Amino acid sequence: MKHAKTLIIGGISALTVGATAHIQADDTLRIGVIGPTTGVFSFFGEQQRMGVELAQEELAERLEALNIEVEFYDSQGDAETTVDRLRAMESRDDVDLVVGPVLGGTGLAGLEWAKGSGMPTVISYSAPEDITMRDRAENVVRAGWTGAQPMFAFGEYVAEELGHQRIIAVGQDYSFPYNQLGGFLKGFCAAGGESVERIWHPTGTSDYSSILATLPDGDAVLYNGAGSDGLAFFQQYHDFGIDARMPLLGGSNFFAVGDLPEMGEQAIGGLSALQYAEGLESDTFLAFRDAFWDMHGDDVMPLAPAEHGYVAFKMAVNAFESANGGDRDAVIAALRETEMPDAPRGPFHLDEYGNPVQNIYINEVQEVDGRLVNVPIKTYENVSQFGPFDAETYLAGEPDSRDFPPGDCSDPYYD
Amino acid sequence: MKREHLLILFIVAALVAWPLVMGNYAVSQANRAMIYALAALSFSLLAGRLGWFSLCQTTFAGISGYTIAILGVRFGLPFPVVVLLALLFTTLSAFIFGLLTVRSRKVSFLMLTLALGQMVWALSFQWVDVTGGYNGIAGGRMPVYGGVDLNDTRVFYVLVTTVTVAIFLAVWRLYGSPFGLLLLGIQENEQRMRALGHPVYLARFTAFVLAGAIAGVAGVFLVYDMGIMSPSPLGLGHAVWVLTAAVLGGYRSLLGPAIGVAVLIALETLVSQYTDRHMMVIGLVLLLSILLMPRGLAEMFEQHFKRKSKPQASVTTTTRGEEP
Repeated sequence: MKHAKTLIIGGISALTVGATAHIQADDTLRIGVIGPTTGVFSFFGEQQRMGVELAQEELAERLEALNIEVEFYDSQGDAETTVDRLRAMESRDDVDLVVGPVLGGTGLAGLEWAKGSGMPTVISYSAPEDITMRDRAENVVRAGWTGAQPMFAFGEYVAEELGHQRIIAVGQDYSFPYNQLGGFLKGFCAAGGESVERIWHPTGTSDYSSILATLPDGDAVLYNGAGSDGLAFFQQYHDFGIDARMPLLGGSNFFAVGDLPEMGEQAIGGLSALQYAEGLESDTFLAFRDAFWDMHGDDVMPLAPAEHGYVAFKMAVNAFESANGGDRDAVIAALRETEMPDAPRGPFHLDEYGNPVQNIYINEVQEVDGRLVNVPIKTYENVSQFGPFDAETYLAGEPDSRDFPPGDCSDPYYD
Repeated sequence: MKREHLLILFIVAALVAWPLVMGNYAVSQANRAMIYALAALSFSLLAGRLGWFSLCQTTFAGISGYTIAILGVRFGLPFPVVVLLALLFTTLSAFIFGLLTVRSRKVSFLMLTLALGQMVWALSFQWVDVTGGYNGIAGGRMPVYGGVDLNDTRVFYVLVTTVTVAIFLAVWRLYGSPFGLLLLGIQENEQRMRALGHPVYLARFTAFVLAGAIAGVAGVFLVYDMGIMSPSPLGLGHAVWVLTAAVLGGYRSLLGPAIGVAVLIALETLVSQYTDRHMMVIGLVLLLSILLMPRGLAEMFEQHFKRKSKPQASVTTTTRGEEP
């Protein structure tokens, strides 16, 4: 017993000393990749990691020529842990550029840290719009999207092409769905929609009978949420037979993120919008998908977080290359000039705020070769984070919230 | 008496040496450790003295953090005013929570604090207009006074260390004072204390408000350390983390919570460097230490000391090592 105690204490102190004496030689460039690889959201972090690993393999020669090393960090999906890992990157591991974080809250925490540190940062999947809008920082750019970005187009599509006038929006009660619905409303009302009624539920809800039993009448239901909540809503929606009365539309993550196999055939025909689709047919996409399958096995479909991680890493390497080394200002300047004509999702460039201007796909769930995939049925090209609006007007307006913008399209706000 | 003074001297020397020897990251880890040591101290004050296991001490830290974020970032009030108001508001919340919980016994106290903590957590998550919801409120920064940037890791370290040491010393005095003994007495035999004429509820209530205020101080540092206030520090996970640290270190002793926090943070930092499965390793270490040292790391150290000196006088007193 006594020895065991001594061993434990001895081991811990030895480890402490070992870790603090962790000093590295400084002729290499280091890229730190951060995402949630444990915890509830580990799916997103794992996807990013796989995307980055693929990019590493493809760029192996350039990485060697530039002497670039890559290190992965686990954010655990927690803001505080994220800040802690970012500090470790900067002051312990001598990292020169950060790729990530992946989730909304960790993205904002990372942004706040990056502002203080000046570290060149390529945010991958994290979507709060203020990262590249009201709180933007010179050294932070984004490889992904804002929550509203794909939804401007979706709102327009639903009003114009589907002819729906009144939408019932059910969603998880936090800022990402607010932002998604905000984008939807702005596109929807501008394209001649009538009204959107909002119903919010707390995250982690598994029983939707009270919502479904009192669902108001409309032309369609838009569900803004994902994960187990989305799955439960999807199933109960069909159990209640409401799909016969009103079609079910999805927010960007609803049909896209790994839940399709569990939704089964009932999901076929489901519509949503994103800057990515795993059913794309372009050569660059197919090459990316096949390489991904070669590396990670073809039972894992590369989804948007994987592609965003892949692209973010390429942006980082390109920036090091054109900066000819790790000089911060040069790397940041190169990052802000990013153009990706051959990204798997389609070509994009960054706007002056550091967010991609890219294709938005209206996706329909279809069965292809025995798999359920999102196949793009319409493409809106060159959509910025401000959608059809000009940046200054957009930024002068209020940020999206629980009940903003107004749900009634005849509101003076939309004039 | 001598031994305690030596120990204090040693700890202060180590705290002074740390930023001189270590790199920036180790210093920022020490900052975090001290912030959570305060939270764990707040927990142990109730658990060790009164046998009250609280799951809402991190909630007080959160309330304090949100007050700072809302008043400082949203309304732009000056730094000292914001801090004062945050501490005031946290104490007030502890006052209200205290009124609700003061009459409860062990398990019902745990459940009450759980419910209160979860209510505040849900509020922080869903009252988006005020708290920013899931995204939180970013931009909490301390000012620059006379060219000294208080946000600088090392300056911040000096600040946190000074306050933490002061609070630990104050609680040390409190544990030795008649009031501290009264709390222990209440834990041992509430009826007898009442029969002796001691105001049992008032004493418990006071301890609860004090613990809340200490957690409030932790919250002030927490928000300035992270630069962002989000609901995650108010979640059940953090409350349980603090409880784990306090139990690991030994919540009956003064230094136990600080030791527990330091060991847990060191473990998390080190093991996560080598594997993604760090939670499993930490779980295993916890399991072993609690099996081998059920009264915590601190008391094991103290027993080592004591065995060589004099035999323990009392079996029931749970302040071994703190008193002369």
